[in-house]
Amino acid sequence: MGESPYWNPRHETMPRTELEALQVRKLRNLVDWADASVPWQSKRLRDAGVTADSINGLDDLRRIPFLTRDEWMDAQLEDPPFGAILAAPPDRAVRYHMTSGTTGKTPIRVLDSMKDWEWIAEMWCYGLWGFGVRPADTLFVAFGYSKFIGFWGLHYAGEKLGCLVLPGGAMTTDQRVREIVEMGATVVASTPTYALRMAQEARSLGIDLAGSAVERVILSGEPAGSIPATKALIEEQWGAKAGDTAGMTELGTIMIFECAEQPGGTHVIEDHYIEEVVDPVTDEPVPYGEMGERVVTSFGRGFIPVLRYRTRDFVVRIPGSSCSCGRTFDIYEGGIRGRVDDMKLVRGTNVYPRAVEALIREHAEVDEFQIRLYTADGIRDEIEVLIEVPDADVDTDALCAELSKQLADAHESLRFDVRSVELGSLPRFELKAKRVSDERIVIGTEGERRSM
Amino acid sequence: MQDMAGNELGEAEAKLVDVYRELHRVLEMHGDELPPFALRNGTKALAALWQVMNGLDMDPGQLYDLGA
Repeated sequence: MGESPYWNPRHETMPRTELEALQVRKLRNLVDWADASVPWQSKRLRDAGVTADSINGLDDLRRIPFLTRDEWMDAQLEDPPFGAILAAPPDRAVRYHMTSGTTGKTPIRVLDSMKDWEWIAEMWCYGLWGFGVRPADTLFVAFGYSKFIGFWGLHYAGEKLGCLVLPGGAMTTDQRVREIVEMGATVVASTPTYALRMAQEARSLGIDLAGSAVERVILSGEPAGSIPATKALIEEQWGAKAGDTAGMTELGTIMIFECAEQPGGTHVIEDHYIEEVVDPVTDEPVPYGEMGERVVTSFGRGFIPVLRYRTRDFVVRIPGSSCSCGRTFDIYEGGIRGRVDDMKLVRGTNVYPRAVEALIREHAEVDEFQIRLYTADGIRDEIEVLIEVPDADVDTDALCAELSKQLADAHESLRFDVRSVELGSLPRFELKAKRVSDERIVIGTEGERRSM
Repeated sequence: MQDMAGNELGEAEAKLVDVYRELHRVLEMHGDELPPFALRNGTKALAALWQVMNGLDMDPGQLYDLGA
């Protein structure tokens, strides 16, 4: 048999009707497992009149109540440290992880057994293999290897594939760049922000990253991996193909990946998940091509059954047939578009950080940026964008004026004050970037004031 | 041998299913007779083979009772 471009050829190319039948079977098993093993879940299911026997089609999924992050956190707070969400005794676990806490909320704590941990790597194998990573590759993982789950699954997926895996924890950026080049890494895993940071470091070290052995950059952790301008910048600076992925601690691993055909979006791993896209206000399903909120049901991690979890991620779903790779798995066009919670209301205009980044990254002269919201004169929302431009030959005044105009044009003429700041004065990030600073004392449309 | 959808498995795939089932049976029935190195490596192998079973749509259930 010739080498397959698919990790699981049968499932990844399965006709949609068969794929949906598989999902229904797995959903029935999952409901049965949750009902029998997790009293907290069982009550929720029984209260909604849902039993495994009553699942006859994918439409029955909608009878299962949504699970929100708040409910998960409340369960943890009521019965610390994990909450009454575990389907097996904690002593059967081999891994403990927690969310990064970037939303400022109580972190979610999760456990995985040996089998679940293997499954977590298995999901990354879909992504790595699908993007063209093979056993002969040398994979450098630019990641801090902490309790944040991040690229842990990718690391083990690399080992499972037979790659030589270089763990890049506890290293400075220049050490990482040097090792990538010296060890001949062919694949690098990083957040989009940090991929750009490493490229910047390589320039300052006089290292020709584009001339290195790196052929692929695996991106995760931020929506920017599917922002065309950011991705193009990464591909140019690394001289490599960049592929987006996205996952979440609540699932333990990735649920979407970009294939080697780079269709401008990410395939959903639909033999292991059911992904719904709903209107975040009405909760009604939205059709292909319309933006909505992801709701995920996972068949993988049995230790913590996840049924209809509200992710708060915005996505636009399109048919898998829109990609030439042959997979029948649907695609999130443009990957994760942002989070429901990310949106900022500034003088009546919705501002999405991703949209701002997409415009800024069109200008390769900008090395780093920050979005700052503040209250002027005690009453008025203002938004400014601070940029760093390392090339002294660039006319920064003209660049700032151009960016201000472009941002205003894209935001109902909202005024953006774009300022060039001293090189190195803006924060750099290794994991998820925090480029929005909301310092307003008056927030929201109701005029509520932040406590001082 | 058929998967849960009634599709016929390939010969090599069917042999892996047999290996999984035999390993599962040994660990379930004779796990307490095995020295630590054999039990723990067998359990780890079972966790890996579970992925094969799952990928072949063979409904492998859960393994927590066996420590995997």
